[in-house]
Amino acid sequence: MLSDLRYRLRAFFRRHDVERDLDDELQFHLERQKDKYIASGIPSMEAARRVRIDFGTTDAIKDQCRDAWGIWAIDETGRNIRYAARTLAKRPGFTTVAVLTLGLGIGANGAVFSALNAVVLRPLAFPDAHQLLSIDQYEPGATQPFWRGYVAPARLEDWQRMAGAFQGITGYYLDDLTETSGELPERISRAWVAPRFFDVCAVAPRSGRIFTRDEERFGGPPAAIVSERLWNRRFGKDDRQQHALRIGNRSVPIVGVMPQSFVFPNGDVDIWSPSPPDAPYAQSRTATWFRTIGRLRPGLTLEQAASELNRVQAALGQQYPATDAKLAIRLMSLKAATVGEVTKSLWMLFAAVSLLLLVACTNIASLLLARNAERRREISVRLSLGASRAAVVRQLLTETLFLASMGSALGIAIATVAFQAFRTLGAGLPRMTEIRLDWSLVVYCFTCAVGAATLFGLVPALRTARLVVHEANLHRRTTTMSTHRLQWTLVGVQVALSVTLLFGAGLLIRSFDRLARVPLGFDPSRVMTFRITGNWGETTDMVALRRRVLTTLETLRRVPGVAAAATSMAVPGAPFQFDTELRIAEAPADDQRRITARSRVVSSGYFDVLHIPVIAGTQCKDNEPVPGAVVNRSFEGLYLTGRTAVGAHIREMASGPIVGSGTIVGVVGDAREQGLNEPPAPTVYWCNNAPNPTPLFLVRTYAEDPAAIAETVRRRIHEIEPARAVYELMPLEQRLGDTLAENRLRTILLSSFALTAVLLAAVGLYGTLSYIVNMRRREIGVRMAMGAVRRTTVMMFLKQGIAVTAAGCAAGVWLSAAMGQGLAGMLFDVTPLDPSTFAAVLVLVIAIGAVASIWPAIRAARVDPIQVLREE
Amino acid sequence: MGDGRLDLPQGTLDLLILRTLALGPLHGWAISERIQQVSRDMLQVPQGSLYPALHRLERRGWISPQWGSSDNNRRAKYYALTRKGQKQLAAETQSWHKMIGAVGLILDMD
Repeated sequence: MLSDLRYRLRAFFRRHDVERDLDDELQFHLERQKDKYIASGIPSMEAARRVRIDFGTTDAIKDQCRDAWGIWAIDETGRNIRYAARTLAKRPGFTTVAVLTLGLGIGANGAVFSALNAVVLRPLAFPDAHQLLSIDQYEPGATQPFWRGYVAPARLEDWQRMAGAFQGITGYYLDDLTETSGELPERISRAWVAPRFFDVCAVAPRSGRIFTRDEERFGGPPAAIVSERLWNRRFGKDDRQQHALRIGNRSVPIVGVMPQSFVFPNGDVDIWSPSPPDAPYAQSRTATWFRTIGRLRPGLTLEQAASELNRVQAALGQQYPATDAKLAIRLMSLKAATVGEVTKSLWMLFAAVSLLLLVACTNIASLLLARNAERRREISVRLSLGASRAAVVRQLLTETLFLASMGSALGIAIATVAFQAFRTLGAGLPRMTEIRLDWSLVVYCFTCAVGAATLFGLVPALRTARLVVHEANLHRRTTTMSTHRLQWTLVGVQVALSVTLLFGAGLLIRSFDRLARVPLGFDPSRVMTFRITGNWGETTDMVALRRRVLTTLETLRRVPGVAAAATSMAVPGAPFQFDTELRIAEAPADDQRRITARSRVVSSGYFDVLHIPVIAGTQCKDNEPVPGAVVNRSFEGLYLTGRTAVGAHIREMASGPIVGSGTIVGVVGDAREQGLNEPPAPTVYWCNNAPNPTPLFLVRTYAEDPAAIAETVRRRIHEIEPARAVYELMPLEQRLGDTLAENRLRTILLSSFALTAVLLAAVGLYGTLSYIVNMRRREIGVRMAMGAVRRTTVMMFLKQGIAVTAAGCAAGVWLSAAMGQGLAGMLFDVTPLDPSTFAAVLVLVIAIGAVASIWPAIRAARVDPIQVLREE
Repeated sequence: MGDGRLDLPQGTLDLLILRTLALGPLHGWAISERIQQVSRDMLQVPQGSLYPALHRLERRGWISPQWGSSDNNRRAKYYALTRKGQKQLAAETQSWHKMIGAVGLILDMD
């Protein structure tokens, strides 16, 4: 075995020597033979001739010797590759179409794969990320206000102490900081973190250390950890020196620098500060501070942890019945909590793009079948010269693999461009910045190519070799119906898959269109939005906070070009979870109806800015003595029938930290405040210009483009509030667009996949029909000679093309029904089996099928019978 | 076949080469001459298959090549039987005899 290998290696690597030896050996033989003939009295010339006759051609013998060396596989592969390159170069049209088709298929697939890989498949960027859970507290059966899930520091520490299933439980909340060293103040995002934060994340600082237990205690030494980005910006890359941040009037030493890759809770955070749980102001069990995460002990499951934590919470409920009895706990993997709904969209897109790749493969298979059929003569010559069938199949496969590798190279190039588009379109979706080009994409593309090549290359190659052998035996040159059947099936499959993709895209487009046309109930055009830095410390004096925001509002209203200005706690038209249960004071005592409403918190001028009509009463006023509230028409219609709305008193059942009770001062029109895809619900607008330190400012401008006012606003705010920064400055329409990012992403992508698929199917249909026309030239010629009318000939082929398209459509309808079900959750105001979308898709596909068939059909009719018969 | 020559039965060339080399190292031409002589001109080695066969046997390690000079002082490739080749020769000879015997039994039945 070993000697065999040594022998082969020598034959391969010392090829030159081995060949020379072979030459010498054969030459020696020939000369001895010649000598023998001469010795027996034959003249020299005649002797040389006899030797050649005896021996045959030395080339054939050399070939057989080389076979014996056991390196023919390598030899043949090299030869096949060179041959493939030559044949493909000779047919640039075919090659270009095939490479483009594959490149598109693989490229689109690679781009979606890289997104899927980054967002869904790859774990979050923590060690043992599967152990990280997001921990939510909620009140079963109650309305869920937006602060649901934000946990009080005292309770978090109780969980940490009592729940053994976790290595650690910690939490964080975000706050703003104003950095004033530049020309204009800059906002810096800070995360306040509960003890053990960096232990639970298990990410070490790039330099320095994490917080000590002392620093995490109230009154302990001040300390901050900063991001690598902030560190580099402020201090250069000098790691050795001790540095401190100036925050307000305090100097806070920096004890650690987190690496660039650490983006938790989000990529904006530049400073992490400890939030001590033993601080006197942190003792209320109704406080709503922390988003909570925990790290499981190795080997435990989410279910085990959930049941344990709920047991712990039940025990706390007995200890603190007033605050803890009603709470339950929900656990979710941190990845699921981060990625959320996007998973479904990405899988759907991946399925779609895989169908596209399948269409591309099928297309190339039918192109190859047609092309191989044209090469029968060449192949039968090779076979008759002694090539084995296996050798022919290997050669055809080499060609396909060659095509596939060119296709995948192009595919990788396309994927690199496409993934940029992906990041732009998907901006605002979770983990999008984590999409990057890496080896996995390259490996994936090549795997796709090789898989595709085997899939679409093997069948045509085997088939061609067999058919040619068959024909050679029969000495006939006819087209076999079975090839056509296979080719037509392939075309039909392409059509069916295209119909499926088109139908899916059609549904999404219709849904998106419906969404864009939906009457909002408010006017987002000409509205600029922004926030001004503030911090939670300001909430200790709510009156001062409101005064500060009011001053800003009044300043804004005086800026030339501003029609109205207001604040709101949430972005109008974007989902905001804040449900409350209410009591109406004037309602009769026996009225046991449960009154629930969505809550929003807005300032004076809000309805002016958004052009929401005031139907009765007034809107919120500044400096109202009694807290006022405005309800929408749905609320009035549902809960205040037969009663004057204005003047009624409403009170929240469970008093939360922001609102409590108020008098209804007005009724306004319904607006789709919760997002375009949600119908208006009964809503209470509580009048309060500053429920938190950073409410959203909304400014209606006279100018068409609200962005034009951005710089003026920045300057004016700077004049009155030199220590605060303006950030997230963008038109309202852009914010609304961002809430549709996922929807837009999948609609655009699926549509482009579907169009590509249809295009490919059209190319496939055209190619196949042209080929069949070519193969049947003789038959057509004979028919024409016998007096067939051109129109009949055209119709014959056209009918064939359309029949296949129709068959494909019929199969596509079945697949489409499945596609529609898959999309069901992503549609707005369109049923998953929308008949008009079906109709439109079918008409479109059949029309395209007809167009693709007409040219080959006309070419068939132009066949000149005389010429065809002469060719025979 | 009018001149009394026989075609080599399939697969016997290897056996003949090994047996010929059992007497001592020879180059390719000498092997074919020797086979022809010993078989009294009844067997002739097809010139086209001799060298591929030699290379195949060499790859299997049954014969080993050695470059030397021939009687008229030309560079020639001599093949010698290896120990592995001797074993192979013994095995193939035995099975050949068995086969001849078996075929004979069948042909002689009445």
